[in-house]
Amino acid sequence: MEKIIGKGFFLGDDIDTDQILPGYAMSYPPEDLRKVALKGSKISDFPDKVEDGDIIFAQDNFGCGSSREQAPLALKSTGLGAIVAKSFARIFRKNAVNIGLPVIISKDVDVILKESREGDNFRIDINEGSVKNLRTEKIYQAEKLSDTTYETLKAGGLINKVRKILINRGEINE
Amino acid sequence: MVKINVIEGIIAEHAAKDFVKVGDELSVDVDLAIAHDVTGPLAIEQFKKIGVKKVYDGDKVVFVSDHNIPCSSVNSRVQHKTLENFSDDYNVKYFGRSEGVIHQLIMEENLYKKRDIIVGADSHTCTAGAFGAVAIGVGSTEMAAVMALGKIDIEVPPVKVINIEGKLNDNVYGKDIILHIIGKFGTNGFTDTGVIITGESIFNLSQDDKMTISNMMIEMGAMIGYIDQGDEIGEVLETVNIKAQDIFPCVACPPSPGNVKPVSEVEGTVINQAVLGSCTNGRYSDMLEAAQVIKGKKVAKGVNFIVVPSSKRVAQKMDESGITKIFRDAGAIVTNPGCGPCFGAHQGLLNKDDVAVSSTNRNFPGRMGHKEAKIYLASPRIVAESAVLGKLSSPGKVK
Repeated sequence: MEKIIGKGFFLGDDIDTDQILPGYAMSYPPEDLRKVALKGSKISDFPDKVEDGDIIFAQDNFGCGSSREQAPLALKSTGLGAIVAKSFARIFRKNAVNIGLPVIISKDVDVILKESREGDNFRIDINEGSVKNLRTEKIYQAEKLSDTTYETLKAGGLINKVRKILINRGEINE
Repeated sequence: MVKINVIEGIIAEHAAKDFVKVGDELSVDVDLAIAHDVTGPLAIEQFKKIGVKKVYDGDKVVFVSDHNIPCSSVNSRVQHKTLENFSDDYNVKYFGRSEGVIHQLIMEENLYKKRDIIVGADSHTCTAGAFGAVAIGVGSTEMAAVMALGKIDIEVPPVKVINIEGKLNDNVYGKDIILHIIGKFGTNGFTDTGVIITGESIFNLSQDDKMTISNMMIEMGAMIGYIDQGDEIGEVLETVNIKAQDIFPCVACPPSPGNVKPVSEVEGTVINQAVLGSCTNGRYSDMLEAAQVIKGKKVAKGVNFIVVPSSKRVAQKMDESGITKIFRDAGAIVTNPGCGPCFGAHQGLLNKDDVAVSSTNRNFPGRMGHKEAKIYLASPRIVAESAVLGKLSSPGKVK
């Protein structure tokens, strides 16, 4: 989880959850969600293009709108490695972390998009708080994750964290 | 000594503390946890992975099937069965007979209580802020964690106040007020923030209008949306003043709830669908407002007017008072209570060249069908007048 390497996809402001996962698809079984990831966005063929570890770069307010966890779940199930954005809507950000999908805030997104080409490969170092364009070798700043977020991601999501609490209390078995 | 504000006070009470400050990370007791048919099943799947034998309190967990009711697909049928079976096995409350949209129904069941902390696997859980609750919208996994632990981990947010000063203009409703605010501050104007809306004109609003306002506070990113209950607010980070006289009947133009203009600027835009309903504006007072416009008139040719009561109680009252008949006689389609076409799964989806005016809460691309369809968000009054005239209309144009 500490280092994520993949090619970049570029999106703009206000990528809302309807663009990430259409409303009707909230009834889909989890294994079918990947097929409609970003279907309502300008990269409607995202599931065909994405490979494991790839990274979405977006501007402000990524994930605004509905609380549907199917949105980050669909993205995660495509193999997406992380989302880097200038800012995230709260519920989306929490949902992504809760299912173990890293979401990283970087005020440098404008510069990254200006100095990079779509399809360039990037490396994110979560501990360092950095994003590197592997073609241009330029390094950009990203915010470090809070301790709580880091712990949840490291545990593989919130469910594992809750299990740990309950195991420690002796309320459930390992 | 800094005096904590009303939102901090409620959070402190639920964390068994006398004092909290912005940024504190706390585990707080949850008084009510709610989910519906498209977020609940995923929460249940996650809950079962935790491995606890029961939910923290069966009386405090409620599921409602409102999004796809009756089922819009085989998959949605599976979701309803999941909720039904879980409620039987774990003794939690379940409403699965089109009793209403979750936020309306929970209100009618008197479960939105002042100074409670409510967690909902639905972004519009902030509707409960109209009743003085601290209500937090979450996703399915967080809902599962709350079902197991009875607590949620939150950080104490910065709190800001929006004060509406003075007297409102004519034909300005709760919807116009909240659209005006979202237009002014943008869809991420209050991300991760607790927001209190207050002012003389807010105190004078009906409870229904207050619900419309708190319902849409998520559209500006708020973590907590709260309507002043008349208690002392306390110290907050910032107070912004808005003059009531600057608020006009308005619409949120496509493709964002933040793209707000006075309706007069887009008047005449031809529409082919009008939607009245949702957790934002599907209450009896909304229906009455629209019925007064449309009584004895016809829905314009080429327009589908879809009316979705927000609850069974609303629908029954409409039937008893003759409003349902007024709508049907005018050529409107009155559906069963639920979310209707608001979120784009059924009961009135749009094709790419369609233009809708809707009393719902979101108009993002693809929200109600095709991603090129255009949706204008407006008050029930504007929706009804536009349905009659076949184009976006300012209040008062239908004589």
